[in-house]
Amino acid sequence: MTETLATTGFSREAVIALSRRKGEPEWMLQKRLEAWEIYEQTPAPLGRRGDLGTLQRLARFHFQELHPYLPADGDGALPPSIEEGLRDALVGAAERSGLVLQRNSSVVRVELSEELKSRGVILTDLDTAVREHGDLVQRYFMTQAVPLATDKYTALHAAFWSGGVFLYIPSGVEIEAPILAQIWLDSPSAAAFAHTLIIADELSSARYVEEYASTFEGEQPSLLSAVVEVFTRNGARIEFTSLQDLGRNVWSVMHKNSIHEADSSVSWVMADLGSRLTFSNIGSNLIGNGSAAELVGVFFSDQDQRFVIKSLSNHVGLSTNAETLVHGALTDESRVEFDGMIRVQPGAQQTASFLSEHNLLLSKHCRAEAIPGLEIGANEVSASHGATTGQVDEEQLFYLMARGLPKDEAERIIVQGFFEPVLQRITLDSLRTRLRRNIVRRMRGGHESEADWIEAQERWEIEGVDESAVSFDRPSEEEEIRLLPE
Amino acid sequence: MASELVIKNLHASIEGKPILRGVDLVVRQGEVHALMGPNGSGKSTLANVIMGNPKYEVTDGEIWFKGENILEYSPDRRARMGLFLAFQYPMAIPGVSVANFLRRALEAVREGPRPVGEETPGGRPAPRKTIPPSEFRNLLREKMKLLKVDNSFINRSINDGFSGGEKKRAEILQMALLEPEIAMMDETDSGLDIDALKIVSDSVNALRGPKLGLLVITHYQRILNYIVPDFVHVMFDGRVVRSGGKELALELEEKGYEWLRPEGSEVGVND
Repeated sequence: MTETLATTGFSREAVIALSRRKGEPEWMLQKRLEAWEIYEQTPAPLGRRGDLGTLQRLARFHFQELHPYLPADGDGALPPSIEEGLRDALVGAAERSGLVLQRNSSVVRVELSEELKSRGVILTDLDTAVREHGDLVQRYFMTQAVPLATDKYTALHAAFWSGGVFLYIPSGVEIEAPILAQIWLDSPSAAAFAHTLIIADELSSARYVEEYASTFEGEQPSLLSAVVEVFTRNGARIEFTSLQDLGRNVWSVMHKNSIHEADSSVSWVMADLGSRLTFSNIGSNLIGNGSAAELVGVFFSDQDQRFVIKSLSNHVGLSTNAETLVHGALTDESRVEFDGMIRVQPGAQQTASFLSEHNLLLSKHCRAEAIPGLEIGANEVSASHGATTGQVDEEQLFYLMARGLPKDEAERIIVQGFFEPVLQRITLDSLRTRLRRNIVRRMRGGHESEADWIEAQERWEIEGVDESAVSFDRPSEEEEIRLLPE
Repeated sequence: MASELVIKNLHASIEGKPILRGVDLVVRQGEVHALMGPNGSGKSTLANVIMGNPKYEVTDGEIWFKGENILEYSPDRRARMGLFLAFQYPMAIPGVSVANFLRRALEAVREGPRPVGEETPGGRPAPRKTIPPSEFRNLLREKMKLLKVDNSFINRSINDGFSGGEKKRAEILQMALLEPEIAMMDETDSGLDIDALKIVSDSVNALRGPKLGLLVITHYQRILNYIVPDFVHVMFDGRVVRSGGKELALELEEKGYEWLRPEGSEVGVND
């Protein structure tokens, strides 16, 4: 059986071998096989005619050259590069209440504070959850938030998931200190599957931070398929932050989705910096009355990176709110497609939903395509969406240069300013700083005084930022739709 | 020796349309010049061309500053040599705090122009001497008091959400901070109410002295009651058509611009 897994390529036999090796119950094996059938029968999403072609490129990726399963070495010791990465994590050892570490196909470390354990919080790898909380996993795993048949890639994920984490927060438990998950790829030609299943019971809350990173070198690519499913029961609140900083030899497919009961909320923070190609889907299903979702997104692409980002605010209940705010910069030959949908289902009265996406093009050869969409099935709705794609404003550049700043530096400052409104929405200080540094590093004209600039920025922030410093209104370019009952 | 800005036979156009048709002008440190003229006569264009706005194409003529022909210099190099332009329409730059930006600008200007060779793209300039934020903050506060600018200004984004008057005051604040040798004020008076005009004029007068040469561009004579010029020039149709002392401004107030219209000029006074 292990021999089947050691070979490359995905197959029905490999599905069975993986499930047997894990000693899974029959229902999970059947689920994997069902997913495999769907994978085989479903064509890959290819995007639209005339788009930037990134999904077509993903469809041509050589999936069959990957190892579907890459178990960790026996003793669980981490290579120095991952140890170092863990030390530099967005949430340090003293600041977090829990830790999950996945290396390639396996979760190698799970830690949870004694206090949270005693209050009934469950944090385990998904294999353990399948054994010990089978009823919950069976009910929630790829059934509602990210159904396994969502697309070809989710089917592959369901058939071959291997790592993964299960978090359950009991009613009324509020977890202040973030739980950190790091997913590491350190092998070429690997397919790693990371699955995060979060169930937040009534009136509970938690902050969860997930980092995707890789350490291996060379041209031989690997794949990361990540699925995040969040369930918030009545009044629960989840803040889910993800930082994707994978190496340029990693392709990634992400699906994140939340299912909301009444008055619950999910804040998604999404930062995409790395990878060769990323297909990222993020959505919120606002089913319960009064539920709310927020998506704050930042990306920066360069060289020949390609991103496809799809967001969905799906309004079902009464009086639901959603806001999507994404800012991204592109340079070199990179390409980014953004497809942001607001869907208001029939009966979803008193919906308020807003979406804005702004792209800044920093080279002549990069390309961005932003398609905001709006489907409204109810009549008492306030919704607006807008997307802009532009270059650094020549007049702004001249203004800064007329004050003595060299062109490169002036451009960098304008780009930093462009990102600032979204960065201000990120509550995790370490992520804000990490992003600022990343932006500066990727711009020309940053030299030894970068750190000083960022430090100063942080200092002003501590001393308080006027609200006008975070406004970024371009109402003239946004289409507004307002429907009120007669 | 006093720094000199010398404009010789300057011709400039925008999108192929000639605006400046042979401007001659000399401004020295310590002097205050008023540049007047009807709308469309080329006053703002002149200021922008002197500062190096790439929007305009210089088709003929020379701009000399401190003994160097600066026509080929980038705007930042001109600024670091000691030129300043208070913009008619200052740009808003969202997300960039005034404090951070001005500290950088002050560091750059104090550093002065680098040798031309070091400005090539990709070349790493020598480390710039930084000004500690606390020191800068104190300096800025001092200038802000002078201009009666509110403290919250420091943390706001550059010109973002500023009222017209606030933007103009912020421009003069920058001028006070950067201590240029020759400064151009492009219609700083427009959009200012009488109180703001007094505050701005008082601040400018406080900066007057042997180290500052000023070119005050204005449509109206009003600001010149407060900032009394040594010289007055009138532009018409892309040329300086008349120069004189401060009494010329009063004459213009009385008679308007029409009597100075050069023969064959089609530029309207009322456009």
